[in-house]
Amino acid sequence: MLLSTVIFLPLLGVIAIALLRGLGESAIKGIALAIGLITFVISLGLYTGFNADTATFQLGGTPIEWVSGLGISYHIGIDGISLWLVLLTTFLTPVCILAAWNSVEKGLSGFMMSLLALETGMLGVFCSLDLFLFFVFWESMLIPMYFLIGIWGGERRIYATVKFVLYTMAGSALMLVGILALYFQNDNSFDLTTLSGPFEHSDLLFLAFFVAFAIKVPLFPFHTWLPDAHVEAPTVGSVILAGVLLKMGTYGIIRFCLPLFPDAAEKFTPLIVPLAVIGIIYGALVAMVQPDLKKLVAYSSVSHLGFVVLGLFSKNPAGLQGSVLQMINHGLSTGALFLLVGMIYERRHSRMIVDFGGLSKRMPIFATVFMIVTLSSIGLPGLNGFVGEYMILFGSFVQGAFSKVYVVFATAGVILAAVYMLWMFQRVMFGTLDKTNENLPDLNAREIVVMLPLLLFIVWIGVYPKPFLNKMEKSVGLVVTKVQATPAMGQLENGVPVGTKLALRETEHEKSEKEAQTK
Amino acid sequence: MPIEEINWQLLMPELVIALTLLIVLVFDLFDSISKKVLGWMTIVGAAIALWVSIQMHLDGTVGIQFNQMFKVDNFSLFFNMIFLISTILVVLLSMSYLDRGDKKQGPYYLLILLATLGMMLMAAGNELIIVFLGLELMSLSLYVLAGYFRENPASSEAGMKYLLLGAFASAFFLYGIALIYGGAGTTSIPAIAEKITAESSSPLLLAGMFLLIVGFGFKVAIVPFHQWAPDVYEGAPTTIAAFISAGPKAAGFAAFLRIFMEALPNLQGEWSGVLILLAMLTMTVGNVIAIAQTNIKRMLAYSSIAHAGYVLIGLAAANNDGISSAMLYLLVYCVMNIGAFGAVILAKTEDGESLMISDYAGLGTRKPLLAMFMSVMLLSLAGFPPTAGFVGKFYIFKAAVGAGHIWLVIIGALNTAISAFYYLRVVVTMYMREPEEELEFSPYASTLVIGLIIAAVGVLLIGILPSLMLTPAQNSVF
Repeated sequence: MLLSTVIFLPLLGVIAIALLRGLGESAIKGIALAIGLITFVISLGLYTGFNADTATFQLGGTPIEWVSGLGISYHIGIDGISLWLVLLTTFLTPVCILAAWNSVEKGLSGFMMSLLALETGMLGVFCSLDLFLFFVFWESMLIPMYFLIGIWGGERRIYATVKFVLYTMAGSALMLVGILALYFQNDNSFDLTTLSGPFEHSDLLFLAFFVAFAIKVPLFPFHTWLPDAHVEAPTVGSVILAGVLLKMGTYGIIRFCLPLFPDAAEKFTPLIVPLAVIGIIYGALVAMVQPDLKKLVAYSSVSHLGFVVLGLFSKNPAGLQGSVLQMINHGLSTGALFLLVGMIYERRHSRMIVDFGGLSKRMPIFATVFMIVTLSSIGLPGLNGFVGEYMILFGSFVQGAFSKVYVVFATAGVILAAVYMLWMFQRVMFGTLDKTNENLPDLNAREIVVMLPLLLFIVWIGVYPKPFLNKMEKSVGLVVTKVQATPAMGQLENGVPVGTKLALRETEHEKSEKEAQTK
Repeated sequence: MPIEEINWQLLMPELVIALTLLIVLVFDLFDSISKKVLGWMTIVGAAIALWVSIQMHLDGTVGIQFNQMFKVDNFSLFFNMIFLISTILVVLLSMSYLDRGDKKQGPYYLLILLATLGMMLMAAGNELIIVFLGLELMSLSLYVLAGYFRENPASSEAGMKYLLLGAFASAFFLYGIALIYGGAGTTSIPAIAEKITAESSSPLLLAGMFLLIVGFGFKVAIVPFHQWAPDVYEGAPTTIAAFISAGPKAAGFAAFLRIFMEALPNLQGEWSGVLILLAMLTMTVGNVIAIAQTNIKRMLAYSSIAHAGYVLIGLAAANNDGISSAMLYLLVYCVMNIGAFGAVILAKTEDGESLMISDYAGLGTRKPLLAMFMSVMLLSLAGFPPTAGFVGKFYIFKAAVGAGHIWLVIIGALNTAISAFYYLRVVVTMYMREPEEELEFSPYASTLVIGLIIAAVGVLLIGILPSLMLTPAQNSVF
């Protein structure tokens, strides 16, 4: 019941705004913010009510029969993986509403309605345990996003929004076929929890799902829609897009592709991991040469999401936990970056790096916040990005599922990230202050309120990630046991990777000796 | 041949329509009566027939009449519902539309009722000749309706074209019946099924079967027999374009289903491959050409061709799910397609209808209600949840996957993505583009708005609670 409330409360907000839109702009904003905040507060109940000792889905209540003639039920629930994505969604939405406070010039009610409808769609995707329900949310979430980019976007918004929708629909068309094929192998039911392999044609089914998710992530070479969508979307649209929507792709991989089709996942790993690594390097290299701040952040997303996919296909606890954590991290830091870019754009109406320089003198608070977020995005120890990336690289390195050479290249991506982010920071913040920028005001109180919660979590996860990792440990462990027959390496102890030295020293020979001893 | 007792109760829906027809005919004679009353009479008659059909469906009042020629079963009753809902919606759209040009309204409603009666005959025909009679009754009425605006050359041209090509199609159909009669020695649907076994398929039967496919192909606008559709839709009065694209298409598919599933199931090996191919071709050609259209009526024409392709997937699946999914889809399609045409009618300026898609720029802010209706219908046609169009497509794809036609479903699903492009383009134009010139839109007509509200509520209701119509459809397989 709690979970259903969280999912559908924003939809209630949509209806409320539709009915009360005559009350004026401030009322609309107030309703939207209130709904967003209430949803977040209620969703905190999910955190406290969540039992981390089990990997089963919980808090969803009993499934309700929806379309009996087709074996469809309203079946929801969360585990340690979706819990965090749900919280990320409910957290980012009120932040976005507050961030959009003064930046919507036309159709404010439509904007807020789209944003809240989007929240329901995203939450539904993360909570659905019925494949039909999942697909309904997956598709219906496209419509509000389509409007967000298409109505409130930049100059080439129509091109960007149509491209976004068509790419996603092409992918989901194949996924629909996959879902239907699974239905007949699941005793005519769409229930995810009763699905158990091995399935017929599992290679094709894996691909049908994977392509849909790879487009969403986006994995190289399916990424071309992303820079367009990001650049044209309004600030808030970019934040949601980067913060949550892309995670639906990686979430799909960890929820469907890996546990349902382990053999196929094994088979395609040698193909997918290089793509992930290419994405990391390519995204970073392209980001480096972007003259547009927003485009730079957009390409950095391609790079960061490459890390997440790499970690997922390491198929061990460290890599997977790192990936899930990195999904949250990316949502926080890239979301924050987009917000900051949006704030400077609102002041200067330009996003070109050459138009700036020396801003740190004029806008010290802005520069400080920007610095922290930049460092978090690079993966500086002590901030959240480091924990996720370290775990991903660690997990990928110790697991011999694919060549360690890939991990070496991926690590180079971390350095490249430092290059493009710091170089951008230097050009924007230091140097001589341009005359046109002399009167730019620093962050106001509202903007600081928008940024503070993000900074809080950025530091928190960086310093003390244990509460985050603890909740997901069991669920990730279940995925690992499903995808991997012998989850020997990359184990975690109390949520912390077992000393790197130890894991590296333990050769195959020693391992088998150890196993013999235990027998 | 002894004449058996007639169970009038089974004929109630048809009788009600026939009676309404006579009443409209009589009242049309009196000039003192407002012509709008005729429209309301048609609606009331159709609504009563609809109510009777639903009651019969619920009570299971079924049986065969007139020497095994007329079969009332859940299948025909379900199709009655589709036809009558379409008729009611179309009449609601027509009432204000006809006021515009001071057109004679009596014959218009008369012909619509006649066409509806023909459709009901087609769905209930248990005999090829009855099906043909129904087909002709429907088609002849439609030819006249397509050319109803005589002073408009486009309308006359549409009527003429439809007549010529339709007559061709009827000839093919009749020839097919003749050949099947030659091969099987009977025109009764159950008797044909008994006569034909998979081994005994003679070239005569096969030729007859293919001619039937051609005939139906013309009537329901399947590629490559679809060329008439865009021209007729564009030229015919918009209400009639909505009508032709809905009820008659459903009627064609009703007879198609009845004949191929009940009379020729043993030839399935021969026709299922053909239908799969036609389905792929129809969806792809319809959707791809629709992308290039700038006139919204032509775009909807090509979209309706593509939708015939989706229904064909259900036929090609040829299992119980396939039949009921085709029925559900036809119901959903009729409602959303009439709704889309209704929104086109609603977007009327002083100079006439706005038919170019570019005319719709800025409607989202200037005419929010109209833009909302249009968007709901188009999103449903594109198959986005939570609309009825999504449920319909999903069920059809499910049936085909169940029958093992994975490739057909993949093509169908990709076509859905293609179709999203042109449906969304209209939405883009309405919400995201600024108008080039300020068009003065006429005020809304209340009957039109009622019709659109019914359609929109129906589309969303079936989308959110699919069981409402899914269970009846599943219970209506012959």
